[in-house]
Amino acid sequence: MIILEDIHKVYLRKNVETTALKGVSLQVDKGDIFGVIGYSGAGKSTLVRLVNYLERPTSGKVIVDGQLLADRSAHELRQIKKDIGMIFQHFNLLESKTIYQNVAMPLILSKKGKKETKERVTELLAFVGLSDKANSYPNELSGGQKQRVGIARALASKPKILLCDEATSALDPQTTQSILDLLKKVNNEYGITIMLITHEMSVIQKVCNKVAVMEEGEIIEQGSVLDVFGHPKHATSKNFVQTVVRTEIPENIKRKLAVREVTTLTKLEMVGDHATEPVLQSLINKFHLDVSVVFTNMTEIQDTTLAIWYLQIEGKESDKRAAWQFLEEQNVRYEEVTV
Amino acid sequence: MFDTNITLNQFVEAIGESFYMVGMSLLIGTIFGAIFGILIVVTRPGGIIPFPIVYMILNPIINTIRSVPFIILIVALIPFTRSIVGTSIGNNAAIVPLIIFITPFIARLVENSLLEVGPGIIEAAESMGATPFQVIWHFILPEAFASLILSLTTATISLIGASAMAGVVGAGGVGNIAIVYGYQRFDSFAMFSTVVILIIIVQVIQSTGNKLARMIRRN
Repeated sequence: MIILEDIHKVYLRKNVETTALKGVSLQVDKGDIFGVIGYSGAGKSTLVRLVNYLERPTSGKVIVDGQLLADRSAHELRQIKKDIGMIFQHFNLLESKTIYQNVAMPLILSKKGKKETKERVTELLAFVGLSDKANSYPNELSGGQKQRVGIARALASKPKILLCDEATSALDPQTTQSILDLLKKVNNEYGITIMLITHEMSVIQKVCNKVAVMEEGEIIEQGSVLDVFGHPKHATSKNFVQTVVRTEIPENIKRKLAVREVTTLTKLEMVGDHATEPVLQSLINKFHLDVSVVFTNMTEIQDTTLAIWYLQIEGKESDKRAAWQFLEEQNVRYEEVTV
Repeated sequence: MFDTNITLNQFVEAIGESFYMVGMSLLIGTIFGAIFGILIVVTRPGGIIPFPIVYMILNPIINTIRSVPFIILIVALIPFTRSIVGTSIGNNAAIVPLIIFITPFIARLVENSLLEVGPGIIEAAESMGATPFQVIWHFILPEAFASLILSLTTATISLIGASAMAGVVGAGGVGNIAIVYGYQRFDSFAMFSTVVILIIIVQVIQSTGNKLARMIRRN
């Protein structure tokens, strides 16, 4: 659906070059909710604006729905943009127009008939739960309501893709949750592919199926959300994951381990059904190992469970080897970690 | 009661003449001023249709005319006025320099009002695939409307002030009464009355402008 190929973006301001993107490649498939996370200045705003060509790449290819955007005329690009909705951190609603008129705007631009416009706007306002606000003005609405209007407006032209530029960053946690639920509903009911950028890992955790982590204009890690959350490779990814899931042993436990002179632990990572299977019991009963749980964390991601266990395992080497094989058969990821 | 040679009729006529001069020059000045103001906003570097040449020509022209005091503009423009109106004396002759005076002023005010519209609004418009004309018509102008009304109020009041100087080229109006009767004939009543009339007119225009702008903003 969206392919970015080796994108470089250099800004020239007052004869000083700033590189925003350094060779970024990614692919968003149809039906994905693709999250891009990074600290501010990582280049994620530029990245998302490439998809609807609000920003043009200095080099590299942007392919949306099979069309190479660089080949398209200004007129064709405007048509392509109608297939791509966008919502913003600060909503960008027209303060001088009613909610109805705001949502109708994309249809007015496409010169749709009054009747068609009215049907579509009514449907969308019902979808976002703001039917009673049709004649209100944006300044009478709360932040969460404004973003709902933003979403309704972005959906008016029946886009295939929805871009979200820090759509929940100006909202409180509760409102954020309701907007994220709405985005999921947009993805489920209309089958719209979503690309969102954020600096909050909890947003990725709640709605995305894929994630790319950005730092200084580069994607340092990307993959399915479960993979990245389960075993982030890069230090920055680890920091982000830590904000929502404790994958590292807390310091106070480390101190106690040091006192007991424990140096190696076994880290198990179980996803989905495995997370709730009696793996531990098997280790104890089948393989006669002494297992003590040092630290554990279970998190719900993508409607499945991610469980991380830090175990101290004692027993015969042969039993341990048999146990490792058993874990492999069970698709449980395990590794020896030094404390 | 007052030692004066002026009649009520003369006042009524003068007010009519002032309104005629101000109204005509405001109408034409607004049309050109709005066009130039919009042009200078959209063609500036980083604007929605960047066109540096247009911007680089318009901007200094506006500055140049704005730096000439109106009283000098009237005199300097006499040949030009004569070539257009056929005469350089009278109300119609005054309208020409008034238009030349107010157009760049309105262009600047329109520019400022339009620049108040946040870049986010324009970005949203472009993300919807709006054409440059649609961005101006459906997004920038409605969002700037209240501010534009206030700008026009300011321009109108400026014009009233300028039109009072039009007596120099034999135009009528309230200003002319103040000069001919009040100043040249030491008629304090005429002078005092014109001042009061001007204060009232300016007050009414300003508060009407404020009220309109507030209605549009719905605060």
